[in-house]
Amino acid sequence: MISTKSLSRRGFLNMGAAAGAGLILPKTGLIKPAYAAGPLAPVAEEDAHIAFGHTGPTSDEGWTWAHDQGMKAVEAAFPKLRTSYVESIPYAADATRIFRQFVADDACMVFATSNYGDFLYDVAKRAPDVAFYEADGRNPLDNLGTYYVSHWYPSYVAGIAAGAMSPSGKLGYVASFPVPSVYSGTNAFLMGARTVNPEATLQTIVINSWFDPQAATQAGTALIDNGCDVLFGIMDEAGYLQVAEERGAKAVMWNTDLRRYGPNAYISSIIVDFKEFYVEQVRRRLAGEWTPSYDLLPFGGGVNVDAWGETVPADVAAKADAVKASIMDGSFNPFMGELKDTKGNIKVAAGQTMTEEELYHWNWSIEGVSGLDT
Amino acid sequence: MSTIRLQRMPIAPAKVSFVLRIISVLLALLTTAIVLWATGRDPIALGGKVISSTFGSTFGLEDLSLLLSPLIYCGLAVAVALRIGAWNIGAEGQFNFGAFCAAGIALFVPGPTWLILILMMVAGAIGGALWILIPTLARAYADVSELITTLLMNFVAMLLVYWVATGPWLDPSGMALATTARLPVSVPPVWGIVHWGLPIGIILAFALALFFTYTRWGYEVRIAGANAGAASYAGMPVKTQLIGVMLLSGAIAGLGGMMEVAGTVGRLQGGISNNYGYIGIMVAVLARAAPLGVLATAFFMAVILNGGIILQSQGLTTHTVLAVTGLILLYAAIGDEAAHYKVLRTKTGES
Repeated sequence: MISTKSLSRRGFLNMGAAAGAGLILPKTGLIKPAYAAGPLAPVAEEDAHIAFGHTGPTSDEGWTWAHDQGMKAVEAAFPKLRTSYVESIPYAADATRIFRQFVADDACMVFATSNYGDFLYDVAKRAPDVAFYEADGRNPLDNLGTYYVSHWYPSYVAGIAAGAMSPSGKLGYVASFPVPSVYSGTNAFLMGARTVNPEATLQTIVINSWFDPQAATQAGTALIDNGCDVLFGIMDEAGYLQVAEERGAKAVMWNTDLRRYGPNAYISSIIVDFKEFYVEQVRRRLAGEWTPSYDLLPFGGGVNVDAWGETVPADVAAKADAVKASIMDGSFNPFMGELKDTKGNIKVAAGQTMTEEELYHWNWSIEGVSGLDT
Repeated sequence: MSTIRLQRMPIAPAKVSFVLRIISVLLALLTTAIVLWATGRDPIALGGKVISSTFGSTFGLEDLSLLLSPLIYCGLAVAVALRIGAWNIGAEGQFNFGAFCAAGIALFVPGPTWLILILMMVAGAIGGALWILIPTLARAYADVSELITTLLMNFVAMLLVYWVATGPWLDPSGMALATTARLPVSVPPVWGIVHWGLPIGIILAFALALFFTYTRWGYEVRIAGANAGAASYAGMPVKTQLIGVMLLSGAIAGLGGMMEVAGTVGRLQGGISNNYGYIGIMVAVLARAAPLGVLATAFFMAVILNGGIILQSQGLTTHTVLAVTGLILLYAAIGDEAAHYKVLRTKTGES
């Protein structure tokens, strides 16, 4: 039996199972029973080099910025160790070169803050003494763990406010790639919106990047031109929020509080915080306690909805907050059947609840979401 | 009284341009060092780090060699087209489409590994040639500038790869995102993690050099590239040559895509080309479209790009590294142009 070490996160232990953190088991059970091999050897703080590889620039005020804050927290907690990071790593062979360079530079721990798949996996395989973590990772190794956030809960809560604030019931979504985090984000958002407007639909545009302000702005414009009046997305910057502000629409963002880019348009944001996670993992690595974990940071610790925007009506905010509280105390799980895919097939039967793993690996759109399923 | 005058010569003497190129690279590095020093970094330590990390370890040399392979193919592709005066800005797209065709063979055609690999090479080359076919015919028969058409085809190829890799060909295992399954065959390694793509690319460069130097066809291509009107007047089939050379150019880029997907990356996914097609333009221009020159300039670019990665891991931002790369190329281009000039002393008052 594999167990993850619980995070030292306040409120973590008393969270309900539905919103609980936990363990993401790989889909095909590829985890080898390697824990018998024991944790990696301890490293003295002054000898330690912790490296971070990012998909975007640390100045993005979004995903990469949040991870960079995590690195700064590590530096504050362990002032004697060395950190380094590389920004804007492409999803190409260059990624392998960069991760190999970290290893050559004697990194004892490498965090890839995005899914680099084989580009990271191949490096980790050849460097068994180095601890690796991959955000939104899928393919674990004895020295390669994964971590991500259970963002579907805050996405659902934000969807409730979005549904209430969308007169047309047409929601738009600026997507990076058709990957599980986009499926779960779009589905959760629309499910939340449908609790207030059962007729709501969600249209997505895929831009093939996590950080491309120009493409995100164009996609946001196209969605509003198509009649969408609330935008959501999974971008690492504020591009489509500014579009929404100019066009009198509303927007829900990701990663950080971005309200100053569109104070009237801003509904909320899926806020992420990796500081405690990083400090705890580095502590385990230095102490010689590290084995790979498969962590989903829970709703309320690591991921949350931001304070509501100034144009969100009080009754809408109260309604969404009530749902948020019921998810957090474990009394309500929104991801229950019956759920149909875009072709009308029943994918989750009535009364059945989706597991955390199913949510993590979600790879089909619910009825009402367009633009992802081919 | 005498004045100094500059005269531009049509052909730069090889020796002069070689010396100027070395000077320009040194000047670029010096400029970079001054900027780094002014921002509180130690340029000598950083430079030493780049050199020792690149050349001082097996791992560095492996990385350099892996990066060299796609640069050679894309550089050769652009260079070949330049020989006949055509600008193939579409190596990026041909690289992607070649990779797409090769991956299709690997994923869906069963057979022994050696046969599949040969089929993949053929498919990659044909795919690359197909991707430049429309721009080629448009240029040959309608005089449409290939500069624009080849460029536009790039976006189509890249989006096609993104689409198949995240849609119909998506890895069904769920263990990888936005990519196809791992290809069941791969180009065998020749040294460490360096695969046969590199030696084949080098052989190709030599073959092309021999072809352009010693065959009648190669000679005619050179003449047609220098002066299409004269070549045509001399009875050379300029149009046929143009079509042949452009398709060859596309095929080389497509083969490069095949090597990248089947040798280096192992899966087809969006963004695998990582601008190699565009860097290939720089490689070819710096090499003045000479196939053997491409080997040298591709190596030079690989060292710079790999050095950029090392600098990034030392805390320099992507933007700084990009600026350094751009600076070196700018200086090299200035040096190349300067090599065309000869200093003349003339006496005033004389006619």
